[in-house]
Amino acid sequence: SSNELKLNFKKSKEACLSYIQDALLQKQWKRAAEFLTCYVESLEKDYSREHIGPSEMIWRIGTEILWHHSQNRMKEFSCFMEQMKTLGVKRYLKVCLEHVFHLLCNGQIDEAYQNLSLAESWRFGEQTAIQDKEIKLIQAYRGLLDYCSWSKQKKILLEHGEDGFADLAVEQEMHGYFRKAAVNLKEIIKIPGVWDVFVKCYVDLLEFYGEHNEARQVLNEYAYNSKFPANPNAHVYLYQFLKRQGESKKSLISALKILHDIVPSHELMIDFNTMLQKSKKRKKRQLGLEVIFAALDYAGWKENAKAWSCLARQVKQIVISEKHLDWIKQEWNSRKDWWPDFHFSRYLAKRNWQENKSLSYEKALVAGILLGKDCKYFKYVSHQGCKARLKRFRILKKFVTRHNPVYLRISG
Amino acid sequence: GGPGRPREPAGRSGGALTLPLRSPQAQPAFVPRRGATGERWEAAEAAAVPVLLPSAGCWIPSPAPEDILYRSSLCRKLRAGKSGATLDFAKQLGHFFVDHPEDAFGSLGRLLHKNFYLGNAKLKVTVSRNSTIRMTALVEDIDRLEARRGCPRQHLASRLRWFSHLCRDWLFEVPLGLLADCLHEELAQQWSNLLFDDSLTGGALAWLPSEDRETPVGRLVHPGGQAMNHLYFQDVVLEELPHARGPPAQFELSERIRQVAAARVDGQDFVGVRSDYHCGVWRVPGKTRAVPIPLQVIRTDVPASCLTVSPHLPGELSVCTQSGTVYLWSVETGLQQLRHDPQTMFFRDHSPWRWSDFTAHPRVLSCADRTGLQCLDARAPKRCHFDLFKVGEEAGCQQGERVVLPMYLGRAHPSQYLVTTQFSMYVLDERLPLVPVLKWAHMMKAPPLFAHLMPGKPGRSHKVLLGASRTQELLLLQYRDSFWGVSSGGSQSACQLVGTPQKLHSITGCLQHLPTQLPHRHHLLQQRLSASAAGLAATLQEDGPRKSMLIFQLSEAGDVFCQRLIHKAAQPPAPPSRDEATTAPRSSPLFEAPASSPHGLGTAALRYRRWLRALSRAWREPPWHTWPPSLSQRRLFTHRDLEGPAGPSSLQKQVRQRLRQTMQEGGRIQRWEPLALQPPPLPQTLELAGGPDPLSNRLTAAWAGDWDQWWEDRTSFSVAQRQRALRERRRRQKRAQGRRSLSASFTSSLTYQSELSELSDVGPSLLSPGRPPVLSQEGSPPAGSPPVRSHPPSPAPDEALLSSQSLRCRGIPKERRKTLRDYLSVWAEGPPEPPELPGSQASQLCFPSSQSQLSSASQPRRKRPRMGF
Repeated sequence: SSNELKLNFKKSKEACLSYIQDALLQKQWKRAAEFLTCYVESLEKDYSREHIGPSEMIWRIGTEILWHHSQNRMKEFSCFMEQMKTLGVKRYLKVCLEHVFHLLCNGQIDEAYQNLSLAESWRFGEQTAIQDKEIKLIQAYRGLLDYCSWSKQKKILLEHGEDGFADLAVEQEMHGYFRKAAVNLKEIIKIPGVWDVFVKCYVDLLEFYGEHNEARQVLNEYAYNSKFPANPNAHVYLYQFLKRQGESKKSLISALKILHDIVPSHELMIDFNTMLQKSKKRKKRQLGLEVIFAALDYAGWKENAKAWSCLARQVKQIVISEKHLDWIKQEWNSRKDWWPDFHFSRYLAKRNWQENKSLSYEKALVAGILLGKDCKYFKYVSHQGCKARLKRFRILKKFVTRHNPVYLRISG
Repeated sequence: GGPGRPREPAGRSGGALTLPLRSPQAQPAFVPRRGATGERWEAAEAAAVPVLLPSAGCWIPSPAPEDILYRSSLCRKLRAGKSGATLDFAKQLGHFFVDHPEDAFGSLGRLLHKNFYLGNAKLKVTVSRNSTIRMTALVEDIDRLEARRGCPRQHLASRLRWFSHLCRDWLFEVPLGLLADCLHEELAQQWSNLLFDDSLTGGALAWLPSEDRETPVGRLVHPGGQAMNHLYFQDVVLEELPHARGPPAQFELSERIRQVAAARVDGQDFVGVRSDYHCGVWRVPGKTRAVPIPLQVIRTDVPASCLTVSPHLPGELSVCTQSGTVYLWSVETGLQQLRHDPQTMFFRDHSPWRWSDFTAHPRVLSCADRTGLQCLDARAPKRCHFDLFKVGEEAGCQQGERVVLPMYLGRAHPSQYLVTTQFSMYVLDERLPLVPVLKWAHMMKAPPLFAHLMPGKPGRSHKVLLGASRTQELLLLQYRDSFWGVSSGGSQSACQLVGTPQKLHSITGCLQHLPTQLPHRHHLLQQRLSASAAGLAATLQEDGPRKSMLIFQLSEAGDVFCQRLIHKAAQPPAPPSRDEATTAPRSSPLFEAPASSPHGLGTAALRYRRWLRALSRAWREPPWHTWPPSLSQRRLFTHRDLEGPAGPSSLQKQVRQRLRQTMQEGGRIQRWEPLALQPPPLPQTLELAGGPDPLSNRLTAAWAGDWDQWWEDRTSFSVAQRQRALRERRRRQKRAQGRRSLSASFTSSLTYQSELSELSDVGPSLLSPGRPPVLSQEGSPPAGSPPVRSHPPSPAPDEALLSSQSLRCRGIPKERRKTLRDYLSVWAEGPPEPPELPGSQASQLCFPSSQSQLSSASQPRRKRPRMGF
């Protein structure tokens, strides 16, 4: 019966696919290609309503095989891509994009640009409207390539500009690129998403032409629009922009504060802490302590000597001034049940001492103040330091012993 | 998905697919999301090799679909096109009634047994008639019903309906409805486990590398035993092939071990073990040969579905149960409930599976269900949480895609996370949640339940292994985080998949390399080797410039197999030489002697041989008592009997050649004549060579097709013979009377056996133990001796007397003497000796058949040469 035929057909199709998969995963490209030619038959009776139909399969598998097997014979690849484009109009633009990426990765920028322009002008009834997303991406990538050409011209111009020889034609051409790039880039970053590269390029363009307000607006939108996924990079770009613009400390701090809220373990937190420590305001300094404590919560910061020295410095300041011990107490309260095991175990003392003496110095200082002079970490490191006749470790030991009562006040 | 996605086509927020490397001076360079060249790892062996010998106990394979599915042609027709399976509920319930009648009908059965008549005869008209029913009729009805199963016009026999109507409510010990409910639930559970068993998620195998790098030693933690309820810590030395060192530390647990998780904190390993209702944690000090110390056990009311060990703090674990509860478990402070929500997080999904793992922050735990992942702060779990991964548009998920296994990739990058679904694998960065930094469609046939990370040194790729359970698939992926500098303004970077994913050997794959087995052995072996995978572990080993990767795979049968991958230094992309080598069917490089090996066979082959031997021992042992007593074939025939003709005769050669040729041509042989002119001559030549041998005679006759005639001749011939034999026997009995006692208990299985096999033309396997020992004249055979046989007096009395005495002098027990003598005589006689059937022995026995005397008659009694007696 026809039902059975369908079933059998499906079965053999699946079997063929699994052979292809087997070959691909064992890097047997030739064998995979042979099976793929058999699989092409499945196009004839495409009953499937699966997520990925056979024609898409062929496109993907074929790309994979050619990518690995044809040793960059671009001609073959392009030929295959052209065929794939005609095979499924529903995927036309996707295939185009894929093709463009391939060209780009092989350094054929001009061909890629041509392909993008062609794809952009593709019209196929309803299909054009359905593939709206892809069109946007294609335009965006064209914008990106325009930006690349622009920055190339800029380089030429700047080099020649130094000689006092400005070329009007180059400048005009460059401006043309700018306009083309700006239009397309502006479009794509309106759609919620992660568009780091496009945003950076667009901002670069705007800054060059002195449109700082527009740039600021773009970056603010990218960072603060709640429709966009929470993206720490957006805040980083904004912060860097503000820094370039020479903005006030206050606005820089507020930008970093938000970054701190999203990603307390961000690399910029050290800058943030230094900035806050220098501040005159008590609130800011307290925030600084909070920031550095929070950063050191993360496993990735465990051996960051810079961060530990920031913490040690601030803790030392507080202890000497004996003013804001409650800040430390507040931070320490939520950490005292796990920081000792996490940071100040005997095992870590040994290892830190072996691997990084200055790290162990900073950590020992913090440990001595937070946990008292009897804590394992401090004891081990100060003992080793004194044994090695290192002056600063002796001073450290004295300091901690002198301020031992602080520990009781903090933990009490 | 397809692997053919060098770069993922973008979704709404897929972001830049190809990312320009921005540096102020240079041209932006475009880097693909999938680098073409990764590290090259090549398998050292053609198949995975067993690490440990199989355990002694027999292994009970888990149920197969055909055990619980209803199979009938009608059903299949109805189902064609529709998905879903019909469980054979009635059969299982029937099994229960038959297997556990006491539990099913115990008390009422005992009460009523007088009223059920089980015989075939008609019931007599007595007083009891009124209160007794005949069950046979009922059984017949049931049988008839069974025979008509699937018939569309079937209707219940009225008698059955009447009976079931009457006793449905009270006959059963357990109320039938309740019982059926329980059974149905269990069946459905078994079936869903067969389709996808998520209780194994995470895997029950862990590798604890040793602290000091001098000795390549580590410890394998794996479950074992018949019920997989023993936990073993086995020291393993990593040489060319890893091998066990010393006996393992062993712990017996009360349940089947589902998961073994391990993490190293401060130089100590913490090993968490999950079974359905219990979780336990062990501490293994970093020193080699240190004894593992059990720390704590917790019991759960609902089966636990996850146990992970904190990589940050010693003695901290996270536990999830199927009721949707997540706990942070600290050995020091006990359990802290972080969340209790039987509902799934992002959309409704029926699966009670939950998972939880640690993140970059020791106080923040991720918790997952099939719909996604959230991160919870243990200090304020209600308030502080964020979504890390959601099955949906952000990650470009397919319809029906579900989370299968999340894993914290902390050892590679502190903020990265692996999430696998049945279609794809994702790498997520908790700083940029929801949008994966890497996505790849893995195309595995079964969802990956196991994953293992091997972090690469800075600048090198990280390796991730994905393993599926049912299909034993194993994939090796390589990825690189931050493929352009992180320092460039603190920007986060996407990940790059490098090289092509690579398929590794599965346990079943070795089957084709093993030496050919007997069919039933092959089947058993196949069943054993294709048991679902239950765990995965791996380790990187750097021995100077040589880098290798060892991958351990555990099967549900408790076998641990291992394969080694060798790192090939960057070479110009060589032409795919492996192409042909690996496709050759049934190539078995494993058992071929490698040129480099001094022992002739590779160590892998030796390992296999040992494993197979241990396995076959394990198979043989348990059913020992149930086996029929077997007898050595060697003693049934003299070795001349077993000796075939020197070589194929020219005729045989001809015939064989013809046969082969015909088979090649695909034709058939209708008549042998043209070549083999007379088929009978073939055995005749044999006969000539072998002398008057009854067996050959008979076979020759059978070959020629006139076996009937032969039989006739023989029987008529034997009448006369029998008379003669009887006469002789009487004579000898008289003679032997005085000496019988000396050798009375000597047994000779020889005579009987060879005679019988001559008669029946079937091997000794036909000798069932139930068969009475043949007509012992001297009472029962001595206890402890092999089952059998009456004893005849020795053929040559004087010699026998002498020899048995001399044997006694040597301290040989009575029972053995005869055996020994026979044995010696067989070997002493040399080739040209007719089958050892001394007439006197044969004639003593009253054989069921008339031909037993044949040999005795045809050969005059004669002395047997005896060595030294």
